[in-house]
Amino acid sequence: MRLPLFQCLSPRSTKEALEILDRYKGRVKIIAGGTDIINRLRQRLLSPQYAMTLKGVSDLRGIKRKKGHFLISAATTLREIVESPDIAGFAAAIAESAGLVAAPPIRNVATVGGNLLQNTRCLYYNQSELVRKAAPPCLKQGGKSCAALKGGTRCFSVYQGDLAPSLIAFDARVVLKKAGLARTIPVLDLFSRNGRHPLTIGDDEILTDIIVPIPKGAYGSSYQKLRLRSGLEYPLVSSSVFLSLSKEGVIDRARVVVGAVGPAPTVVEGAAAFLVGKRPAEADVEKAAESAFSASRPIDNLALPGSYRRKMVKVFTKRAIEGALLSLRKAGA
Amino acid sequence: MEKHRVTLRVNGEAYDLLTYPHRTLLEVLREDLHLTGAKESCGEGACGSCTVLLDGAPVRSCLLLAIEAEGREITTIEGLAAGGKLHPLQEAFVEHHAIQCGFCTPGMILTAKALLDATPEPTEEEIRRALSGNICRCTGYAKIVDAVKAASAGGRKSG
Repeated sequence: MRLPLFQCLSPRSTKEALEILDRYKGRVKIIAGGTDIINRLRQRLLSPQYAMTLKGVSDLRGIKRKKGHFLISAATTLREIVESPDIAGFAAAIAESAGLVAAPPIRNVATVGGNLLQNTRCLYYNQSELVRKAAPPCLKQGGKSCAALKGGTRCFSVYQGDLAPSLIAFDARVVLKKAGLARTIPVLDLFSRNGRHPLTIGDDEILTDIIVPIPKGAYGSSYQKLRLRSGLEYPLVSSSVFLSLSKEGVIDRARVVVGAVGPAPTVVEGAAAFLVGKRPAEADVEKAAESAFSASRPIDNLALPGSYRRKMVKVFTKRAIEGALLSLRKAGA
Repeated sequence: MEKHRVTLRVNGEAYDLLTYPHRTLLEVLREDLHLTGAKESCGEGACGSCTVLLDGAPVRSCLLLAIEAEGREITTIEGLAAGGKLHPLQEAFVEHHAIQCGFCTPGMILTAKALLDATPEPTEEEIRRALSGNICRCTGYAKIVDAVKAASAGGRKSG
C-alpha cells in the first residue's frame, strides 16, 4: 500500500530541525529510522502535512562516555547499541533490549529515540484503514468506547518498546529540546499512562539525547522478552531488572520494570521489599516476581490473551531477576 | 505537492530522478528503475522480501523513503552477478535447491551477502540469526542455511 502524500523536509542539523518544528507547529511528523512510523503512515493512522526525516542530521548520533554517565544521541541505531562494547559492558539489560528488537535489517536503521517514542499498539487499532472502518472508531481513533474491552472508557493500548523498561531500570533520563529551550526528564516521565495520548513529548520537541548514569559498585541487570517467535516481534510481555550490592554484599537497590502490559512501562514498587536488604542467595525471587504479576493487568488486545500474558509477567520477571543475579555473580560480587 | 530531484546510486550506477517524497525506495526501484528483484510482500517490514543493501547493510526498502537513500550505495539482487557470472551465493542457492517459489530469495541472498562480507566463516547459529528477519513461506529454511554455509569461506574450502 502507498504512503499518504506529504511534503518532506530534510534538515542537516538539530538546530535546523528545531527551527522546522517551530515553523510548522503541530503539522510535522518526525521520521528517524522510520521502521515504526512508516507503517503508521501506510495504515493512515497518521496523515501529516509534513514529514521531517532525520537521516541527514549528523549531530544526533553516537555513544559518548562522560563523567558518571553515558550519553546516547537519539538517532544512534539499535545496531550501534548492540555492537557497542561500552553498553554491553556497563548496562547488559540495555544491550539485551536492543538486541531483541525485531531483526538485524531493522536494527540497521531503527534508532534509539524512535524505539523509545513509539506510540502504543492494539489489535483493534494497528490495522489498515479498511479493517478499522468496519467497526465503530475506538477511543484511540477518537471514538466513545474501547473496542478491546467492550464498553471500556479507558484506552488500554499497549506500549511495546523494548528499550524503555531497561532505560527506566537504569534510571536513565532524556533531553528534550525545542527552539531555544531544553528540559531533562526521567525516561518514566515520557509516558502519560493514557493510551490515547501515551507520550508526553510536545509536538515542537525533539528527543536529542539519553543520559544513562553509570551505577557505582557491583551491580547486575537483565532483560527478558516474551514473543511468539524469536525474530521480528514486538514484546507481548517484557521485564527488565536492575540490582546493586552494598559494600557489605547485601542488595541495596532493586528496580523491576514490566513492559508491554499497558500504555506505559510499569515500575513494580512492591518487588524491592523481597530483594533489598538480602544477600543475593537469599533473595525471594518468587515473591518479587509475584508482585510484578499483581501490578500488571494486561487485557485481550495483543496476539496472546491478557490472562496468559499476566501469568507470563511472573515467569519473565523471575527470569530477569535470576539473570540480574547471575550477572551480579559474574561481576565478581 | 512538489517532486524532489534525487540521485540514487544503484549497483554502481547513478540515476537522476524526479520523485514525490512519499514514495518508498522499493516503489522507485521497481517502478522507475524497473529493478523488480526486490519484492513487495508484507508491505510492513516484517518479511524481508524487499531487502536491499544500503552501504553494504541489509535494510527494508519498503520502510525507507527513496529520497532518504540519496548519497548511499544501494545494491539490489540485479547487482550481484558480474560479467554474466552468478555470485557464489547465487550459485550455492541453485546448487542446494534453496529456492522454491523464489519470492524471498533476493532478500535471503542479499542478507546472506552482508553476513559473509562481514563474517566470511559464520557458524550455523550466526547464519540463522542473520536471516531471522527474512521469511520463507515455502519454509525451505534448512536448504537456505545449507546454501549460505556452502558459499561461506569454510564451505568453499571443504566443498
